[in-house]
Amino acid sequence: MTTVDTAAEVATTRVEPQTERERFKWGNAPIHVALMVIGIIVAMPIIIAFFMSFTPLSEIVGRADPRIIPASWTLENYGTAWTATPFGRFMINSFVQTGVITIGQVVFSILAGYAFAMFEFKGKNALFALVIGSLIVPFELTFIPNFLLISDLGWANTYQGLTIPFLASAFGVFMMRQFFLSLPRDLYEAAKIDGASDWFYLWRVVVPLSKGAIAAFTIFAFLSAWNQYLWPLVITNEETMRTAQIGIRFFLSNQERNTDWGAIMAATVIVMIPTLVVFLVAQKQLVKGISMSGLKG
Amino acid sequence: MTDLAADVTPTRTAPPLKPKRTWRGSGKAYLYLLPTFLVLFVFVYFPIYDSARLSLNRVAPFGGVERFVGFENYTTLLGSAEFWNTVRVSLFFMIGTVPVGIGLAVAVALLLAYPLQRMNWLYRMLIFVPVVISGAVAGTIFRLLYNPVVGFFNHWLGLIGVDGPNWLTSRTWALFAVTVTVMWRQLGFNVIIALAGLQNIDEQYYEAAKVDGAGPFRRIRHITLPLLSPTLFFLVIVNVIISLQAFAEINILTDGGPGQATTNLVYSVFVDAFVGTSMRGFASAQAFMLAIMIIAVSFIQFRGLGKKVHYQ
Repeated sequence: MTTVDTAAEVATTRVEPQTERERFKWGNAPIHVALMVIGIIVAMPIIIAFFMSFTPLSEIVGRADPRIIPASWTLENYGTAWTATPFGRFMINSFVQTGVITIGQVVFSILAGYAFAMFEFKGKNALFALVIGSLIVPFELTFIPNFLLISDLGWANTYQGLTIPFLASAFGVFMMRQFFLSLPRDLYEAAKIDGASDWFYLWRVVVPLSKGAIAAFTIFAFLSAWNQYLWPLVITNEETMRTAQIGIRFFLSNQERNTDWGAIMAATVIVMIPTLVVFLVAQKQLVKGISMSGLKG
Repeated sequence: MTDLAADVTPTRTAPPLKPKRTWRGSGKAYLYLLPTFLVLFVFVYFPIYDSARLSLNRVAPFGGVERFVGFENYTTLLGSAEFWNTVRVSLFFMIGTVPVGIGLAVAVALLLAYPLQRMNWLYRMLIFVPVVISGAVAGTIFRLLYNPVVGFFNHWLGLIGVDGPNWLTSRTWALFAVTVTVMWRQLGFNVIIALAGLQNIDEQYYEAAKVDGAGPFRRIRHITLPLLSPTLFFLVIVNVIISLQAFAEINILTDGGPGQATTNLVYSVFVDAFVGTSMRGFASAQAFMLAIMIIAVSFIQFRGLGKKVHYQ
């Protein structure tokens, strides 16, 4: 084995992980089976929703033997879901609402987190306590006064009404501050000596160095905004301003009478697709973010 | 770098070793904090005061005329059967989500923590996925599953010879059905937390126990569970709070019914404030009671840490 050409190199590098990785152990088979069964049971509601959304109405109505996988496939349900209600509009509303809330929370949390991490100022501890304190105030306590305020401002059924109460996130401020504090202080001093302003240092040095933490928080903010329910339910009563989550609720009560479950599941799939995409793309960050909240807790 | 920093703020004296907090140097910090605090004050802190005020008033359904009634709303609330019903509903939720839900999550996490080389990614994906599902989506899908005609649960029960009830309209089963839905959605989160806790336990304890001849069950009983207790404690708190706050699933599955069989305190606040004749003062009193419960539980978390709970 003295001749080392590139092909051999490629071969060895490809073999390495396989030798590291043990071969399938039959002793582990029961664990594989158990996990597979559990996994399928847990994911089953989502799997059923997917298959049901492609099942023709004729197959759903009056069947004695419900089956998960349709005998014939159709896209008709998606057509019904899209046209029977302004579902396209609901999705646009949700994207606007989620987009504004996410951007607001991320940007404002970066700014406030930077202030708490880098600046010395009067009332710093008290203000930080106010941020942390707001974390334990449940939304249920504030939503009636907020509803009255937003209505008085004439912002019911508007994007302002859907988004402005959620533009700040105490959790985000805390998370950004923690991360910024972990950056080397020397870097800041050096930038200062070079004459960099805080604004410049924040956006050109701190933010690029904190991509991971910012991405994790962005995912979290996106998911919680997209999945909001109680607030959009009370602050919108015009159909054109409903978000997708509220849209399914009304679509459900309209279509259930016709047992049009295919269309209902099509609407459900449409609503959960953005969150599933986020899950598939960013599962690692998401899981890491959630794990950290538990380990610290 | 230097050229861009033709600074907006003239450079002050070099930062002293021990930073002093002066009003003069604070202005810039306040600017950075302004957007966050504007939102927090207007939409979190002021509403706490406003909620308290509303709860001490009787608010007319239209026009919002208020009349001060002191603690009348609270005394009415504590004397009403409806309130104690919401407590019962929330307690039932907790039985499902806390011992059962967390027990299941730990069992699944123990399996997932097993060092399998293959397929682990698939199992994780399938088990974690409910974490991104909204309450509305979960409620809608489970409404299909519980449907007595086209749903799957009763069909599957039929296969083993059980005649399933009409879950969502049955006084006995509706609360169970809603609780299962909430538990399902919560499972992914609980497993992720439990798994992180398990992976945080130092391998050497297991090695030592193995040397001492402890079998897998004794290792779980005497090493895993005690060392996992901070994680379990966190999970209990979070799940209690989530049980108290369950809303979307109830709204979609049962609308609080049949009767008030699935009306928890949040649902009652929602109904009294927004459905039919609004009673916003009374609803605010309920919201306050709910908030007190949630905040009390959060405080237990702060106090409990490091006390009863075993830390490494």
